[in-house]
Amino acid sequence: MSLAFATIKQLREKLAKKEISSPELLSYFTKRFEKFDGKLGSALEIFDQKSVLANTENNSTKEISGIPGLIKDNICQKNRIASCSSKMLESYVSTYDATIIKKLKTDGALLMGRANCDEFAMGSSTEYSAYKKAYNPWDITRVPGGSGGGSAAAVAAGLAPWALGSETGGSVRLPAAFCGIVGSKPTYGLVSRYGLIAYASSLDQIGINTRTVYDNALVLSSIAGNDKQDSSTLNVGKTDYTKNLTGKLKEGLTIGIIDNALNAEGMDPEVKKLVQDAIAKLESLGAKIKLVKMPSMDYSAATYFIISRAEAASNLARFDGVRYGLRNTQAKTLNEMYCQTRKDGFGAEVKARILIGNYVLSAGHASEYYVNAQKVQILMRKELNDLFADVDLLICPTQAAPAFKIGAFDCDKLQMDLQDYFTAFVNLTGVPAISIPCGFTKEKLPVGFQIIGPHLSEELIFQTAYAYEQSTEWHKMHPAGYED
Amino acid sequence: MAKITREEVLKLAALSKIDILDTEIESILKQLQDVLSYAQRVREIAGGLPGEASIVAKAMPDMKSEAWDVKIASNKNVNVFREDVIQRTDCKEILDQAPESQDNFFVVPKIIENK
Repeated sequence: MSLAFATIKQLREKLAKKEISSPELLSYFTKRFEKFDGKLGSALEIFDQKSVLANTENNSTKEISGIPGLIKDNICQKNRIASCSSKMLESYVSTYDATIIKKLKTDGALLMGRANCDEFAMGSSTEYSAYKKAYNPWDITRVPGGSGGGSAAAVAAGLAPWALGSETGGSVRLPAAFCGIVGSKPTYGLVSRYGLIAYASSLDQIGINTRTVYDNALVLSSIAGNDKQDSSTLNVGKTDYTKNLTGKLKEGLTIGIIDNALNAEGMDPEVKKLVQDAIAKLESLGAKIKLVKMPSMDYSAATYFIISRAEAASNLARFDGVRYGLRNTQAKTLNEMYCQTRKDGFGAEVKARILIGNYVLSAGHASEYYVNAQKVQILMRKELNDLFADVDLLICPTQAAPAFKIGAFDCDKLQMDLQDYFTAFVNLTGVPAISIPCGFTKEKLPVGFQIIGPHLSEELIFQTAYAYEQSTEWHKMHPAGYED
Repeated sequence: MAKITREEVLKLAALSKIDILDTEIESILKQLQDVLSYAQRVREIAGGLPGEASIVAKAMPDMKSEAWDVKIASNKNVNVFREDVIQRTDCKEILDQAPESQDNFFVVPKIIENK
């Protein structure tokens, strides 16, 4: 068995049997980054191995102990740069650990580096990183998705067994689908955001990329739970999300298929067919399938544009050249310094989102945009609540089409934004979801689909996803050219 | 929707404290126009057409009723309090991140220009 594509679970067994040590494992994956990441662009920095080993506790009772992983560059790790892939924070060094980083270190995880992403997590392709683009390991001429394309590309190419990302509109699930791996977005409030650099706080949530459902549940078990430092966290105690993974579906499980999503305009027929095959597979495993409609979903991208940009305009006001980050030193007055610093530090997409945010919040336009968006958001929550009265879980595509070519939407930013079409309603309603692989197109590009549940239904989602995964071979497929 | 003008873009940029180059205005204007035109569809569903109740209003006739109190986990999470205790931090660590500092303060360029 190749170590590169071994799961966390398999690596832990090797560590327990002393077939390999954790410093050796770290050295092995560090070398893989050196060998392959020049063309993949998934990491902004791989830390020196000594400091990684010194920064974690020895805790062999935890499965994640001694297993290297990559952290998205908008999550604070003490004494490490946290740049959000932006020039604004190029030399910003975090003075503290995010709560989830602290938890991972306590559990003995090896935090080996910073993953590339779209600047301030704004984008769907990782082309908006201020440092370098990331590429899709299945086809290097295509994007890995975004904003967490670095996290997903690294895991898919076997450079790291797991990676953390963050989700505001689909930034973990979309890259997972584009790269043929698993990506989860937990319930809003399940995972602490203390130390996650904010984009749109009412939507932001930490997410996880792995190659298997088991590994994903395992990482969530390490980072989930109430945190006094983040008052939006829910009162949930330590939970082992792997314990329900029996390989069987829940007795009498009913799954609703969001029909208007599957038949949405512009849906790629190959992608649609693969999602239908996944539904048929779940039915053959014993799930009762029901066709349902969620009419407000067709308005979710628009609602998401408004709410996320509005909150971004407010959150990103803190980058003013005073307390940290970049400052333009030519400016003569304070106001000039603000305006020049933000001109120099932000990329085009971030600037556009701030401007849109201030537009939809401005006196003349707030009632037309922001207030209406909030109403639609409430309608969405009601529709989902009504649906979950009838079904246990919902299924929806993650993507309308396979990963697109680098530069495909350079001249059509709206099409780039619409990549969140099937994912954003999950963030707007705060429910948990997972995207798992369901096959490949004729061009050998991976496709994923989402399983979505009511608030705090992670255990049922993982159980269902695991049963599906174990009845397929998709999670065993890896991109060519990344063997040792 | 009304077309966004160059003047509006410049006003927004000033509000957002971001200097914009003349050469950037056209592309920003197009992006704003595209996103906002698309986003306007929320009005169709939330605002309704003249003389007609909107989809939102039909689904939830009384916005103040229980129907709006959608039972989601994070809605239960209101008014989370904590003790108001001072936690000491090392100021030096924080000030080390500042582009310019002096003693225990952040230093900024002058606020009012001399005429």
